[in-house]
Amino acid sequence: MKSDSRRLTASVYRGAGILAAAFLAAGALQTLYAQVKTSEEGVPVTDALVIARCGKCHARDERGNMPRISSARSTPEGWQDAVKRMVVLNGLSVTAPEARLIVRYLSSSHGLAPEEARPVMYNPERRIHEESDIPNDRLRNACAKCHAFAVPLSWRRTRGEWKEFIDSHAARQGFPPNEQAVAFLAEAAPLHTPEWEAWNTRSGMPKLTGRWLVTASVPGRGTYCGDMQVDEAGDDEFTTRVNLRSVRDGSELHRTGRSAVYAGHAWRGRSAGGGTAGSAPDDPSSETREVLWFAPDLTKAEGRWYWGQYQEFGFDVRLQRASAQPALLAIDRLALRTGKRAERVRLIGDNFPARVTPGDLDFGPGVIVRGIVSGSPGELVAEVDVDADAQPGKHAVRFHGAVLPGALAIYDRVDYVRVVPESAVASFGDSSHLKGSLQFEAIGYQRGPDGRLHTADDVELGPLDVTWSMHVFHAAEDSSADFVGQVSASGLLIPASGNPANNFDVWVTATAKTEKNPQGVALTGKSYVVVTLPSYTLNGRRYVRDLDRWVDDGPAETH
Amino acid sequence: MKNALWAFVAVSGGLLLTAHPAAAHHGWAEFDSTREITLEGTVTDFHFVNPHCVVEFDVEDIKGRVRKWQGEFSSPGPLTRKGLTAASFQPGDRLTITGFPAKNDAPAIHATRIRFSNGQEINVDAGR
Repeated sequence: MKSDSRRLTASVYRGAGILAAAFLAAGALQTLYAQVKTSEEGVPVTDALVIARCGKCHARDERGNMPRISSARSTPEGWQDAVKRMVVLNGLSVTAPEARLIVRYLSSSHGLAPEEARPVMYNPERRIHEESDIPNDRLRNACAKCHAFAVPLSWRRTRGEWKEFIDSHAARQGFPPNEQAVAFLAEAAPLHTPEWEAWNTRSGMPKLTGRWLVTASVPGRGTYCGDMQVDEAGDDEFTTRVNLRSVRDGSELHRTGRSAVYAGHAWRGRSAGGGTAGSAPDDPSSETREVLWFAPDLTKAEGRWYWGQYQEFGFDVRLQRASAQPALLAIDRLALRTGKRAERVRLIGDNFPARVTPGDLDFGPGVIVRGIVSGSPGELVAEVDVDADAQPGKHAVRFHGAVLPGALAIYDRVDYVRVVPESAVASFGDSSHLKGSLQFEAIGYQRGPDGRLHTADDVELGPLDVTWSMHVFHAAEDSSADFVGQVSASGLLIPASGNPANNFDVWVTATAKTEKNPQGVALTGKSYVVVTLPSYTLNGRRYVRDLDRWVDDGPAETH
Repeated sequence: MKNALWAFVAVSGGLLLTAHPAAAHHGWAEFDSTREITLEGTVTDFHFVNPHCVVEFDVEDIKGRVRKWQGEFSSPGPLTRKGLTAASFQPGDRLTITGFPAKNDAPAIHATRIRFSNGQEINVDAGR
């Protein structure tokens, strides 16, 4: 198991339940899986380059199987790491173009089905994600002490291959063999699954060309909407042209890019905005890595376009195919208070008809559409009243057949402020590493029906207008935190330029400008941040944060 | 995913020279483990986060002056195994907290035991 997963990234949390759902699904599908193929049967290798370069050590048998390789499937990142490891540790000699072709072939012929890849997408998307569903401490220690649990779960292997892999990994890393890990992974991540058998029967390039509608949220900047034109570029690649407009302030972003698609659903590419990018660390015109997951029916996709030394900035992206039908992408008001009258809500979408009536729109019970103020093919403005006794909670917004689930929150008061990310790590820079910054958002919440704060039924109300401050743990109340860093008015923490050769615990505090508690005190929320070093050495081994790995197996190389 | 990251932070924090002893990321060395204190107060906030869970609470002295304290625990994993959740401390809850005070007299305590107003007591010392 490799230590190359990245953990410090921009905010937005994927539901931890997805992982659990994957485990459950894996278990439920075992009976089907038993009918698909025998569990130890390998996946033949047919690519001449893989056979030529890998065959010296992984001799291909008469059925086309190559030891280890035929017993495993993984994501593009999984195979990329495997090839790197073979180069560094086993003396594999390949050129960079050959390595790319090998990864491309294996990621497709020995890849994951979309349903298998989705639960672990937070890993290639470089998101902050709390892996709260690791079954027990033995598995945590075996698989998630040095890297994300998503790393092993990004692989599918036969039982024999899982045992061989875990035994050799344990020997290399110096911990005892773990039969429990073997049993769990063989059950949860087998080589043969109904999903893969079904997905693998598809062939050829995925049909992704055409116009896609884009909703892209950037923490601290809000949501952008627009479209993306995808064109074939040959060699299983696509070029893209993206036009986005900020829902918040109308500013525009124009990006062009190029991407490859692995296994028919795994989009990996790069794009950049026009003009002079990179003057500020959080500049959304920066060059980004694009990681997208396409749904099996190829009508929608989701993922993250990220940048930053620690991938700490990014667009949270959703795509849907443009069609002749009206589509809803976003609304500009995420929450409305009960009893409010004549509130204007802007709906951003595509193909809105010329004539729209109040009856065409539905904001859920207790929200009455008084009228349509203005309309165009891409935007509607509606005026609504909210009943004084409307039930607080999330409402779907509907226009004809288009739906934005849970887009509008109805609330009677803001009960607390949650700063996201709630805990994170920023990094000082040094001569060879840029600083690792962090973008924070202050999100308002209303207590849910249980009346308690911080429970699952709480209602998220969207970003609040706040002032930001920073305070070092255990320091005098009026002391400055400037030697650690500063938080901008928009919630961007930039560590100080000096490298004080130490870690610091700090609170990043958001103080609401208008929302107060029942005692009349402004609501506050905090994030626990450790501002740390880009690397350090322990017992002769060096840990490099932006590589997210112990560098003891060769020179540090960026991905 | 963040588990290893926080492990890194914990290890590196313990290793590095401390230029700002009162401020550096800590193991528990910043607290005086030779003496225990007990405080009673009113919860104002609770942060169920890595690398340490923290409860903020107000303590009123005999003259009626209120001082804001923070009680520091281990990470969410061990606390979860003791039955605590992000909602265990609600603003306004009364709380008795026992532990080691900060060496620099900051209003911070490394919590070893907590007692809720209903009398329930939990040993939250990570090492026990």
